[in-house]
Amino acid sequence: MSAAPATVVALVGRPNAGKSSLYNLLTGGHAKVGNFPGVTVDVLEADVALASGEHLRFVDLPGVYTVEGEPDPESDEGHARRYLESLARDGAPHLVAQVLDATHLALGLKLTLELRRRGVPLAVLVTQHDVLEKQGSSVDAVALAAELGVPVLATSAREKGAGHRVLDFLGDAVRAAKVPSRDVLDADAVAQKVLRPRADAREALFASRRRTERLDAVLLHPVLGPVLFLGLMVLLFASVFLIADPVTWAIDGFMGALGSRVEAALGPGLVTSALVDGVLGGAGTVLIFLPQIVVLTVVMELIDASGYLARGSFLVDRLLSVAGLGGRSFVPLLTAHACAVPAITSARIIRDPGQRLRTILVLPLMTCSARIPTYGLLIAAFFAGSSALTRGALFVGLYFAGIGAGLVASLVLGRTVKRTAQVLPLVLELPPYRRPQARVMARLGWRAATRFVKDVGSVILVASVILWALLSVPGPGHAAAKATAPEGASKKVVAMHGSVAAFVGRALEPVTRPAGFDWRVNIGLIGSFGARELMVGTMGVIFGIETDDDDPTPLAAKLRDAKAPDGERAYGVPTALALMGFFVIACQCMSTVAAVRRETRSWKWAAFLLAYTYGAAYVLAVAVYQVASRVL
Amino acid sequence: MSGLPSSSLAVLPPGQRAVVSALSLPEREAVWLRAVGLGEGVEVTVLRRAPFGGPLHLRTGGGAELAVDRALARHVGVAAGAAV
Repeated sequence: MSAAPATVVALVGRPNAGKSSLYNLLTGGHAKVGNFPGVTVDVLEADVALASGEHLRFVDLPGVYTVEGEPDPESDEGHARRYLESLARDGAPHLVAQVLDATHLALGLKLTLELRRRGVPLAVLVTQHDVLEKQGSSVDAVALAAELGVPVLATSAREKGAGHRVLDFLGDAVRAAKVPSRDVLDADAVAQKVLRPRADAREALFASRRRTERLDAVLLHPVLGPVLFLGLMVLLFASVFLIADPVTWAIDGFMGALGSRVEAALGPGLVTSALVDGVLGGAGTVLIFLPQIVVLTVVMELIDASGYLARGSFLVDRLLSVAGLGGRSFVPLLTAHACAVPAITSARIIRDPGQRLRTILVLPLMTCSARIPTYGLLIAAFFAGSSALTRGALFVGLYFAGIGAGLVASLVLGRTVKRTAQVLPLVLELPPYRRPQARVMARLGWRAATRFVKDVGSVILVASVILWALLSVPGPGHAAAKATAPEGASKKVVAMHGSVAAFVGRALEPVTRPAGFDWRVNIGLIGSFGARELMVGTMGVIFGIETDDDDPTPLAAKLRDAKAPDGERAYGVPTALALMGFFVIACQCMSTVAAVRRETRSWKWAAFLLAYTYGAAYVLAVAVYQVASRVL
Repeated sequence: MSGLPSSSLAVLPPGQRAVVSALSLPEREAVWLRAVGLGEGVEVTVLRRAPFGGPLHLRTGGGAELAVDRALARHVGVAAGAAV
């Protein structure tokens, strides 16, 4: 650590200028690389030591088109503007480094001239220079530096050694701390002066556009485009099911066998029960859903990095605007299929405040990866007899149920709680298609895997053990409650029937019985109130206790064979469907509630989200159960 | 806000070039649109229209491609552009 404070280097640029790629290059990849306006949603920062011993603190700001005018304070532009203003006010040493896309030089220079007018210490990094060269042109960096009166470097993030060159350049720029003069310049005229087109520039430009044009002709075709879009969404959701399904069940078998081995090695007892029922049955059961989550992360990155994400927005803008959302809502809506928390932050790219709020309030209805374990378990338990195609279709159907619920909720919210006023219309850049980098996708997949394992290893593990304890400690009226245990049940099962958890679960039965949920499901719902991924772990603990420890039967089979007090099967397809319906809607995620509170700056909307999703989830579950148990 | 321009981006046939002549929008929106790259004097070509009255796909003279809402396009006045 050096004694001197690090100089802040704020990376500023238009969306798609290549800011995130450059930030990754300089800092070793703490930000996600994206190919969509506003993919950098939070202000990310990282310290980097220069060869000279100085420290630079890189700050990756959200993309902005302008630093003049009046943006909405909660939008990306508002966030970036506030940060720049605080930087100037604090007076700490800093440098504004503008990342400027060489292929759109004149547009980027407009922002440069605005930054010059603000009188900040400035340096300009002209990126994507390799792409410009393919288009038959180049930028004269020396001439541009002379025109602007600030240091300029022309580079491309994909070039070898680019990171070191940029760091050296920024180190020099920080030492020079050059505040440019504010004389009036014309962006187009400056661009004309410094661009050096080759003789074949026109042909080269057309050739470089050809790939994107050909792809757009198919992917944005008036008929084919929407069909392919829908197909891609189905494929995305189905791939989560189809690719990950076999792996998942292989791990499940392994977990069951491991439990039997532990049981055999340690012999029956309290420690064994805590280990097998609590740890393996709870946390271990959740771990088998790792492959699905990695597949989802990688495929989503593929869509983002290739440039298709912006095309998706173009295709669905009309549909979403009917529901009071818009093309810009598409990015957070798709992101929310992995996790609602980053999606809520990424809603900042929506410029219209009303549309942004509606998007935030319906994002938690999208099928996030934490729902996958519950859906997977219910499908395996109650639809095992159906073909793989039927099970896959049901899984994909659940994804679309989430989307449908979101559109309906937005429509209702727009007419009641937050009326649709005049909406800022869509204007969105469509960047050229790019080949996604395998390295970046592998890193994201790895990061998703480690985060999930850590999550299972901490929160879910602790919760499973606590639950196991609550299922073992006697609750009020335990003597009478124990008598409800099936005849000939083991001591452990009898104890569970008289436990604190069972007492609470039973107290809720009058409310939940119309939805087909008994006390055991209720415990699961209480256990997953803060985080829905705890549902499967909770069920794992309950049914692990209920069956013999040395029984390696998968949880799905235990659930299917579960008995009601009258000896009949406790659950059937109607209960499974009702539970799925409940999981589609209910916001069983405290991280999401906290994120909504942070982005809307109000507890009111966070509380509203909880109330409306739980209310609607209950109504839906009851309706589904009542209809299904009569029809099926 | 004055009336809608007689010839707007919304009615420009795909493939035909034109030059943006006026933005009949609130000043705050016009400032932002100019910053994005769709200001007066910019050459535009409509590449395609999304189905069901969805947005337009444009290319500006500078080579940037944009998706622009059709309702907004009605407020962007255009004049005949230079022939190829």
